[in-house]
Amino acid sequence: MRTYETIIIIHPDVTGDDYTGVVDKFKGILGELGANMLAVEEWGTRKLAYTVQKQERGAYVLFAYEGKSDSIRELERRMRIDDKVIKFMTVQLDGGYEPSGFARKGEETEAAASEAGEVRKEAAVAEEKPADEPAAEDAAPAEEEEQSA
Amino acid sequence: MAFQPRRRFTRRKGCRFCIDKIKIDYKDTRSLRYFVSERGKIVPRRISGNCSEHQRKVTEAIKRARNIALLPFTAGHSLDR
Repeated sequence: MRTYETIIIIHPDVTGDDYTGVVDKFKGILGELGANMLAVEEWGTRKLAYTVQKQERGAYVLFAYEGKSDSIRELERRMRIDDKVIKFMTVQLDGGYEPSGFARKGEETEAAASEAGEVRKEAAVAEEKPADEPAAEDAAPAEEEEQSA
Repeated sequence: MAFQPRRRFTRRKGCRFCIDKIKIDYKDTRSLRYFVSERGKIVPRRISGNCSEHQRKVTEAIKRARNIALLPFTAGHSLDR
């Protein structure tokens, strides 16, 4: 038994009961395959970095569990069959599962208010730019230190 | 060297992961973005200042994040235009 985590992207049009249905379905499959579920993180709908099956956004769900390698094969086979899952990835965890908290609440709610799609795109652009600027600001004091040294 | 051009990335002595002991995780896109250029390329070690071990882990994490659409492969198909 090894610890794995599988992250799946569910089609953005799958919401409500269908969505919980998909999550429960894969929970069920994992249970069926004898995996010991450690955690299920639902990140909510997020913007994707690139289009996947012509979708610009998708709902991320992360399953962390202990299971056998055979069960991964079966799980992934079933994910390929299910149209509601547009992408998935399984990673072996060496250090065991730790709650990550990368599914930040702020992003989730932001994504939930997706009607303001245009505003969000602008926000994303704005987000990208400051990412460079702090680096430049960081660089400046560092240079001063170098000069003083 | 008074008029050094402003460097684009922080040039710290040593590897920031060795100093801060932060775990590198492909899900943590916010910190990984720092190691990706605007075009989506992985920033080389000579610029990021990472040690070889951590650069390897960062690379691995970026590739995983790309695979699951958390980070872009390229900036080409950006949706802002």
